[in-house]
Amino acid sequence: MDPGVIGSYGPTLLRYGVVAVGLIAVMYIIYRVQIAVGVNREAATGRALVSPWVIGFIVFQLFPIGTSLYLSFTKYNLFKAPEWVSTDNFRDLFSLQGVTYQSHEALNATTLQSGYEEVLRLEIGESGWMLAAKQAKFWRSVRLTLLYAFLSVPIGLAGALGVALLLNQKVRGLSIWRVLYYMPAVLPAVATALLWRWIFAPSGLLNAILQPVYSMASIQSPRWFSDPNLALPAFIIISLWGVFGANSVILLAGLKGISQELYEAAAIDGAGEWAKFRNVTIPMLSPALFYNLIVSTIGAIQVFEVAAFIPLPDTAGTFLNWLIYREAFEFRRMGMASAMGWIMLAIILALTVLIFRSSNAWVFYQGNREEAAA
Amino acid sequence: MRKSRITLLMVLVLLLMGTLIQAHAQSKVTITLSTWTGVNEAAELQKILDKINTENTDFEIVHQPFPSDYMTQVKTQIAGGSAADLYWIGNEDLALASEGVFMPLTDCVKDAAPQTAGDVSDYYPDIISTAMQDDVLYGLPWIAQPVVVYYNKSLFDAAKLDYPKAGWTWDDFMATAKELTKDTDADGKIDQWGFTANGWPPPQMFVWQAGGEVIGTDLTSSPIDSPEALDAWNYYLQLAYNPEVSPSSDTIKEQGFDQMFRAGKVALFMGGAADGLDYEVENVSVVSVPVNPKTELGTTFAWTASTVISAGTQHPAEACKALLAVTEGIQNWKIVSPRISQSTVEHLVASVPQKEPDAQAIIDAVPSMRAFTIVPQLAAWNDVFWNKFMTPLLNHETDKTPEELAKEVRPLLEAALTGS
Repeated sequence: MDPGVIGSYGPTLLRYGVVAVGLIAVMYIIYRVQIAVGVNREAATGRALVSPWVIGFIVFQLFPIGTSLYLSFTKYNLFKAPEWVSTDNFRDLFSLQGVTYQSHEALNATTLQSGYEEVLRLEIGESGWMLAAKQAKFWRSVRLTLLYAFLSVPIGLAGALGVALLLNQKVRGLSIWRVLYYMPAVLPAVATALLWRWIFAPSGLLNAILQPVYSMASIQSPRWFSDPNLALPAFIIISLWGVFGANSVILLAGLKGISQELYEAAAIDGAGEWAKFRNVTIPMLSPALFYNLIVSTIGAIQVFEVAAFIPLPDTAGTFLNWLIYREAFEFRRMGMASAMGWIMLAIILALTVLIFRSSNAWVFYQGNREEAAA
Repeated sequence: MRKSRITLLMVLVLLLMGTLIQAHAQSKVTITLSTWTGVNEAAELQKILDKINTENTDFEIVHQPFPSDYMTQVKTQIAGGSAADLYWIGNEDLALASEGVFMPLTDCVKDAAPQTAGDVSDYYPDIISTAMQDDVLYGLPWIAQPVVVYYNKSLFDAAKLDYPKAGWTWDDFMATAKELTKDTDADGKIDQWGFTANGWPPPQMFVWQAGGEVIGTDLTSSPIDSPEALDAWNYYLQLAYNPEVSPSSDTIKEQGFDQMFRAGKVALFMGGAADGLDYEVENVSVVSVPVNPKTELGTTFAWTASTVISAGTQHPAEACKALLAVTEGIQNWKIVSPRISQSTVEHLVASVPQKEPDAQAIIDAVPSMRAFTIVPQLAAWNDVFWNKFMTPLLNHETDKTPEELAKEVRPLLEAALTGS
């Protein structure tokens, strides 16, 4: 064996060994302490066995979460001690200016506060309302990310439902179809991002296929990622790739769980295919749809890999998670990045609560209904 | 009794492991070196390190390459207090010296022999200045790679044009590029271009040649709207993505930037002096970049990188010795060496023998080289410069002229410099 290998990896392996033995020692101590204070053996063993996970959670999750909350109130550049700035980071992020205007001339005559840039404009005819912000880049990212989530999640969910319904049919080679549809979900996100970058490139696959259409319509090949108006649709198309597979597997499991008796009862009542789908399939599948909706919404807001590998023009903004990463590690504004992270958490939390609140109106839990009937 | 044995056994195992780790650590002082080298480059560097490790009995350098996302890893290591003793830093990140993360090298180099890696006076002043802050040295540069022009002699011959000579001007360059842009197969489409630019070469280089600055000497102003800078922007915009001289952005993305030069579809290419275009592509030679006709300045951008010592090193004396040895080794491996005494054809050829035919042209470019001005907020400045100014102009994403946009973006650049 190459002696260099032991020299290189030996100390690391030893450290792993020390950590493992150390954890066993901690578990043993926790166990002994509990026994000493009169806890029964079964409970003591259980607590001792979960203690490594609890320690890992505290050290690697709870502590960073708490630290990030603290850092969001500081100015911290990684190398010098964090400087407490109270709510300055949040105040900066929420420095917004709304401008109502009756005509474009009036808008042009309006002076924005120093350092503020336009983020959003809503117009009806000549009049409208414009939002400007000191941290315009952040609010552009929020706008882009929310638009992406609001459009990609419902389309993805509808697509996944369609795929699940297809995979639930009795067709030849069903297992092969299932594998094929699920495959995108197991491919590395970076590899698929690079593949899509090539597909949407100015001279990429998509434009090459659509070239005859462009010629007929006498339009130039679109530049998907560099045109701010086309970037979002391109990213939504990319998002559907992975979502179909992962979500449809869950929906397929839900479909399999729907009792055939319900369909038979509906048929006896004279229900057609559409009525069965609307009154049996959708209600019975609603818990799975609800779960997918929440997970997909969170995933859409946290999108990172495609944003990292497919640059967008400045005017289109960038995705929130990628902006936070750049703010933290490229510009070393850890305090500001942490504040952005907490605002992202608040957005995710608000949307999740909203979806949960709405669930009473459209999610059907058979157990609850039976309890209520009893 | 059994429980006591188990407890005793565990304590013994812990002690044994601790002793083994300690014993390993005490055998020879280990100096870690972080670099961004890939597999082949790391193997070449390892040969240099093996030689140094054999010659020195008090330390051993252990190489830790991070080929991707290097600076994120290094910054995280520094913040976590686990940075390598020595690490490579590109010129754009040398501003980290202001954060106190590099060890000052004043004592390390004070007794250095003349014309060795520690002899500060042997470095080109503009290159060594990237590793200095407030007159304190924090790193030793190991490369200064000036931009030169690679030209395809076959395409010049086919167009019956004379080869370019040192001292040629912006006008000569533009005229030559236009002559070499043509439809060679008469299908009505241009398929050979004189030049190519896509943000590279750095537009700042043309501002320096025009006598202007993009970051003022006070390090807080950003006079991108000066007449000199505007001359440079306008000239650069005539070069980049202009169908009369260069391929479009789409064509470059489709066919590859330097690949188009390698394929003989582009006649002139500005690249780093260490690039292999002259010996990897047939019938290619090198000439220095064109000079500004008004100022007659032929300033060329030089990318430089340094090796620094972590301020948190546990072995400053050994790290210093290792730094001097490593820098000396690398300066005899990479071209172009940033040292004046090594700026010779002989030294360059000894480092990279394939460069022999063009060594003189490269050495001729060395006195005119200049690195970026290093400021603590360079990343933020670059973000504004490219996203708000250069990219919109290059991609025609703005209706504004360079003059109008420069006036608009200058305050943003200056705000970035001051961190406000």
